Amino acid sequence: MTISSESIDLHAVKSALKKEQNKILWRQIMTNGSLFVGFVIIAFLILVALFGPLLMKHDPNTMDVLKRFAAPSADHWFGTDNLGRDVLARVIYGTRISMGIGVAVAIIASMSGLIVGIYSSYYKWLDHLLMRLSDGIMAFPGLLLALALMAALGGQASNVVIAVSIVATPYIARVVRSEALALKEQTFVEATRALGASDSRIIWQHIAPNTLSSLIVQATFIFAEAIIVEAALSFLGAGIPPPAPSWGNILSDGKTYIYKAWWMTFFPGMTITLAIIGLNLFGDGLRDLLDPHVSKAKK
Amino acid sequence: MNGATMDNEPILKVDKLKTSFKTERGKVTAVDGVSFDLLKGEILGIVGESGCGKSATAQSILRLYDEKQAIHEGEIWFEGKELLSLRPPEMDKVRGNDISMIFQDPLSSLNPVFTIGNQIAEAILIHKSISKREAYARVLELLRLTGIPAPEKRINEYPHELSGGMRQRVMIAMALACESKIMIADEPTTALDVTIQAQIMSMIVELNQKLDMGVILITHDLGVVAEVCTRVVVMYLGQVVEEADVENLFTRPLHPYTQGLMKSIPQLDCDRSKPLLVIEGTVPSLHQIPEGCRFATRCPFADDLCRSKMPPLEQYAPGQRARCWHAETISKKGEAIRAWT
Amino acid sequence: MKTYLLKRLLSAIPVLFIVSTIVFLILQMTPGDPALVILGQEATLEEVEDLRQQLKLDRPIYEQYFNWLFNALRGDLGESYFMNDSVLEAILSHLGPTISLGILAEIIAIALAIPLGILAARRKGTLTDQSVMTFSLLGMSIPNFLLSLFLILVFSVFWRLLPVAGYKPLGAGLWEHLKYLLLPAFALGTAHAALIARMTRSAMLEVLNANYIKTARAKGVKEKWVIYKHALRNAFLPILTVIGQSFLGLMGGTAIVETIFAIPGIGQLIVNGVMRRDYAIVQGAVLYVTFAFVFINLAVDMLYGIVNPQVRLDNKK
Repeated sequence: MTISSESIDLHAVKSALKKEQNKILWRQIMTNGSLFVGFVIIAFLILVALFGPLLMKHDPNTMDVLKRFAAPSADHWFGTDNLGRDVLARVIYGTRISMGIGVAVAIIASMSGLIVGIYSSYYKWLDHLLMRLSDGIMAFPGLLLALALMAALGGQASNVVIAVSIVATPYIARVVRSEALALKEQTFVEATRALGASDSRIIWQHIAPNTLSSLIVQATFIFAEAIIVEAALSFLGAGIPPPAPSWGNILSDGKTYIYKAWWMTFFPGMTITLAIIGLNLFGDGLRDLLDPHVSKAKK
Repeated sequence: MNGATMDNEPILKVDKLKTSFKTERGKVTAVDGVSFDLLKGEILGIVGESGCGKSATAQSILRLYDEKQAIHEGEIWFEGKELLSLRPPEMDKVRGNDISMIFQDPLSSLNPVFTIGNQIAEAILIHKSISKREAYARVLELLRLTGIPAPEKRINEYPHELSGGMRQRVMIAMALACESKIMIADEPTTALDVTIQAQIMSMIVELNQKLDMGVILITHDLGVVAEVCTRVVVMYLGQVVEEADVENLFTRPLHPYTQGLMKSIPQLDCDRSKPLLVIEGTVPSLHQIPEGCRFATRCPFADDLCRSKMPPLEQYAPGQRARCWHAETISKKGEAIRAWT
Repeated sequence: MKTYLLKRLLSAIPVLFIVSTIVFLILQMTPGDPALVILGQEATLEEVEDLRQQLKLDRPIYEQYFNWLFNALRGDLGESYFMNDSVLEAILSHLGPTISLGILAEIIAIALAIPLGILAARRKGTLTDQSVMTFSLLGMSIPNFLLSLFLILVFSVFWRLLPVAGYKPLGAGLWEHLKYLLLPAFALGTAHAALIARMTRSAMLEVLNANYIKTARAKGVKEKWVIYKHALRNAFLPILTVIGQSFLGLMGGTAIVETIFAIPGIGQLIVNGVMRRDYAIVQGAVLYVTFAFVFINLAVDMLYGIVNPQVRLDNKK
């Protein structure tokens, strides 16, 4: 390609480049097995959460005392529980609750984690303070901390979101902080500062956007953890109060009657497992896509 | 100068050895029909550029490749046994015992978590049923033999505590542990300082003479070859292109590639105003081996015959073989020297 | 080496401080008056007030905190509001089951994971390798309390092989003791095992490519020994790191697993304490657990030094 007196059509070159990049990205996405399978699973669950209730025959709270402990059948695919409620309906509503909480926690923890992480990386004194605090929070098993918080705040869905977000924030903060620290050393930051940009401009317009890829990957895993923690809390009786059909609550009932009705444990259990597998696969796939240099052994 | 002895029987006979690897891009043949003999007590040099298959040949002799990925054809005869057909336990008995090998980078070739005493002793204890005490006594002997000072102290040290030269001596000590009949040295001095190189090479020569041990020396350094080897095999792209006594190789090389190599060595007394000779072109990739003679793409004498038919390895002079259609004519007419200048 | 240890121990102090403060504050925020709960609804206001004074619950928060801290430093963690023991005694008596459970879980995890990881590395790319990786993904994905329930379904409900819940101390005989711990240990250890298996596989793959493995083979070392002696020793470092780091997570999981299987360990102690607002227990146990975590971290670091001579020697210099 020789440079001649004809001007090179810059737009054409740019759009051709863009098209090429998109093609490569598309190929990467399509060959990424984890990403694809994970996405399918999550999409399925989201659809169930959104539209499931409309398609169901039974109501999750209707008790049919005559049909207690009914094994799975054509009428009740997942059987009925100790109060004659349809387990399938409860699981579907539970999907709505648990996925909802998972998303909420992922979003809130991401936002707070981003703020904490970025500012920690930028201001030394803040770093010491916040990282010590994070160490303290992370030094303790997440479930127990969430449990203690729930005891303090009271058993409600909103409190579950708050409690789990608090537990999850340090993990995101750490990831963001280490990315931000690395970015800070790069010359483009120095250059921007030389241009006279203010601190907050540098932070929010330049550093923060570059931490997003790691953030999103971590947020996916937090989503999974949130589902687990919420289920555990509800299972212990410290989460969402019954009779709301959170997966944890269904499991808790199931444990009491485990000898009588295995389906009360099996089906919600499988659903949770499916959700977690989907999220883990999606997160792994996302990580491979966004940052192929990260070692596969880390989670 | 070298310890070639009266009985000129080969102790190792490599016959049409072929080693191919299964890769994502198809089958790659790194060693393509290589044959040579190692005579008793001689130091045979195998030279060539990186990627010519010399290391692969050496590792194939000891069958070090994972045989799920690597396929060997041909025969390798040692003491009446055909090595490629031995079962793994039998091959284990040959390795380190009858035939041993030392490698290029002694730091990464020694296990960092075991003491050198432990590693040398292991080489002995695998093959000989003697007590640990006896084994360690032998280790001290070997350390002294390879010129390592204060062996009693060294025996308990770890590889990273030793210098590069000493590590290579340790590797040699491991190779000598069972008084092997053949030692294969794969670029033993490439990773070492020049002064250490000389020490290690002179030790290898000494051992060859004292212990009457055959040595296969793999190197790309023609200077070392000139000093130390009895005979030389030149390889290019997986094949042997020339085989000769060291004197003949340097004074009357037959194959154009060898000639080019000789001419590209800077000489002390050469005309410094002239640029150094460069063999034009690059080695073709193993995935795209050309038809006909493999050197044709870079050879100043190449003609249509060369480009269409593979020349066989023929004997053109006593003890000297070359793989070239025009070997005789080139050497006779002395055109070689002129063409390469 | 000694200064290193001391530094590590010292850096743990602020963590302990922060953790105990956090827990204290949370408990204070918790609605519900322990005095009222202890005495029951029938108690008169006066009785409640008296008890509150006795328990020093009427003092301002900071005073309560410093009292507790001061006592804790002297080894006196106070009395449980609900149990008849001092907090220290309660913790010590609940330690045994948790330790048994933890050790059994760790043994199961390592015994499963390392051979599987090595197998996957040796048969890289084959069906065996992919199966191991798939199982490990499953193992990491199923939460431990869920796995507990599934295990109960299979081994206690369908096949009446193992008890659903309960605990027998060592004194009652080894098999009896293990019988009750087998399912919970398995539930706890599986996620840990999955992670270890992955790390073992990747560490082994890296090591098997090293030059010194080629040397070992050239010496004539039998393949079995090449793997288990030469390769594993070197791969062990990263494997140990993963074991150490996730061991803490494993111990954290004891809370819910002990609750499900009715094992009277520290985890269950804390869970019950929180649910019952037994402040003293919760605080004491939290402090204890945090300290144990720090200690374990340190032990792992030291083990690291022993396994890797390079680290050890650098510390000497």
